[in-house]
Amino acid sequence: MRHYENLVIVKPTLTQEELEQEIKAVEEVITSNGGEIAATDAMGMRKLAYPIQKNERGYYHVIYYKVAPSAISEIERRFRINENLLRFMTVKYENKKEITAWNKMVEKAKNAPAPATEEKKEEAASEEAAE
Amino acid sequence: MSEKRKYKKRYCKYCEAKIDFIDYKDVASLRFSLSERYKIMPRRLTGNCKKHQDMVSNVIKRARAAAFVPYVVTRKEVVPNPFEILK
Repeated sequence: MRHYENLVIVKPTLTQEELEQEIKAVEEVITSNGGEIAATDAMGMRKLAYPIQKNERGYYHVIYYKVAPSAISEIERRFRINENLLRFMTVKYENKKEITAWNKMVEKAKNAPAPATEEKKEEAASEEAAE
Repeated sequence: MSEKRKYKKRYCKYCEAKIDFIDYKDVASLRFSLSERYKIMPRRLTGNCKKHQDMVSNVIKRARAAAFVPYVVTRKEVVPNPFEILK
């Protein structure tokens, strides 16, 4: 098992539901090939530094995962078929320093969406209080 | 000449900050090693050590592939930039 990171840029023309479906499909490609997703980081809609396929913007999504090195070619092949992905990039984290950096980024990505869930909990708590 | 004076003191800023990994998604940290036209600044001007220069150039190339940083900036593209800031 090796540490990897995948950056995916999804077409901006899709609706919110289609975007979520697309990202789920991307994550499924990784898990179905034996990958363990450690964390995901949705960077959201961003302006691209240069147009890709005439698109000025794109939806960025980063996935940190562990997988056997032999599965990467299959994962990339599946990504290449998908027309809704403007760009994808796989980064390998190999030596000790890179792996510690990977762990840090996973921690960061895990901590980032945490406030949202806390808010939900608070909302639920307030709702319960209201009831 | 002004550029030369800016980088006269030669020491590696990355060594001083004890950085052993740079994330390509952190665009602000790459700005130091990029010129106005988004070219990679040479070592003789920034004073980076070989180890960190290799690291920086690798990371910048990754950021370019991910469309965080442009490959080239021509005159045509420089003109609409001020309007982006207004948005």
